[in-house]
Amino acid sequence: MECRFVPSVCSYCGVGCGVLFQVVDGKLTGTLPLKTHPVNEGRLCVKGWNLHDFSNSYLRLKTPLIRAFGRFIKTDWEEAIKIASDRLKEIVERHGPDSVGVLVSAKMTNEENYLAQKFARAAVGTNNVDHCARL
Amino acid sequence: MKRRIKEWLASGRIDIFLGAKMVDGHPLPHAFTRDRIEEIEEMVVGSVRYPLEKFAAQLTAANPEIRIGILARDCTRRALNVLKMWNQIPEDRIETIDVDCCPSPLKAHAACSYLDPPETGLFKKHFGIDGSASLETVEQYEPRDRLSRWMYEFQKCIKCYGCRDACPVCFCSDCTLEHKDLIGTGRLPPEAPIFHLVRAVHMAGRCVDCGLCEEACPADIPLRMLYRKVNALVDDLFDYRAGEGAGPPPLSVIGDRPTASPKPMGHGAVH
Repeated sequence: MECRFVPSVCSYCGVGCGVLFQVVDGKLTGTLPLKTHPVNEGRLCVKGWNLHDFSNSYLRLKTPLIRAFGRFIKTDWEEAIKIASDRLKEIVERHGPDSVGVLVSAKMTNEENYLAQKFARAAVGTNNVDHCARL
Repeated sequence: MKRRIKEWLASGRIDIFLGAKMVDGHPLPHAFTRDRIEEIEEMVVGSVRYPLEKFAAQLTAANPEIRIGILARDCTRRALNVLKMWNQIPEDRIETIDVDCCPSPLKAHAACSYLDPPETGLFKKHFGIDGSASLETVEQYEPRDRLSRWMYEFQKCIKCYGCRDACPVCFCSDCTLEHKDLIGTGRLPPEAPIFHLVRAVHMAGRCVDCGLCEEACPADIPLRMLYRKVNALVDDLFDYRAGEGAGPPPLSVIGDRPTASPKPMGHGAVH
């Protein structure tokens, strides 16, 4: 029986509390707060306490899905990205670039946020960049 | 201490030793094993406490054959006694290396105390309950004042269940605090004071005053004070203190006499 304790960061909101995962035989079985982490100092919210619960959920997606013929169809990344970009191009062509909005998040890295706004401004050609917190 | 642990692991007296090790500047709980026995050199004993006995209970539940060694502070030893009483860990499969500490009133004499609580702020002292004060101080407040002080504390609760999740002697798979017909999940804020009083009642005769609940509470609710009161009542009425290994807790039996063997949860246990 292999028991490990792996320190990590909570994946929910932008605060980034330190968590400690209990891993038994390669499977996530429990979550605890990291007592010496400067952000949360040993405290967690209910979402943080239950990270191990959703991580192993059977409901999690394993492949990209495309909605077609009224159902979700499994596909691979190449196909999914191609379809998404084709549809987006179609929308920009038909309704103009300002019909698209891009929402960034505190949960993404600064680099990802930069990429998102660059995509919005340079690739799509719109100024509609906002933040999930303003929803 | 390290030599003894190595001997125990090498001889097969234990399969896993639960202690702590520094990882990236944080003292983290660590399961030392036979195949990486040299890691014991890096073991640390410090002021940061994790519920090691809770991990031990979970490991023995998954694998009843496993033998576990554990670095045991006083609170750990009390918690282990309670867990043994409730059939959560087998008597003969846990070995402890004892370290002294303990500022709790449940310990008669403390060799040293890692755990000085932080200074309570003025606002909290004025409007709420000072967790580092004595039980007598709190009991001297007038009833209306006392109620408003406790309500001030309870209303800060965000229902994170940290107190229950961190507690080493909380193990019920069917927790009242999550039961949909009783307290239930999802509705916020929790109904104060009933949420905390329900937990306090369940801590009667069970809480070992380790303080992990208070350390885990994001709202700084003085839970230790509450559970100390409940356990003082149990002590007065039944002359029973949790963690002393003195037999089944009085609140786990129905009838006028505790039976010889403790009843498992769900059969005759009083909720």
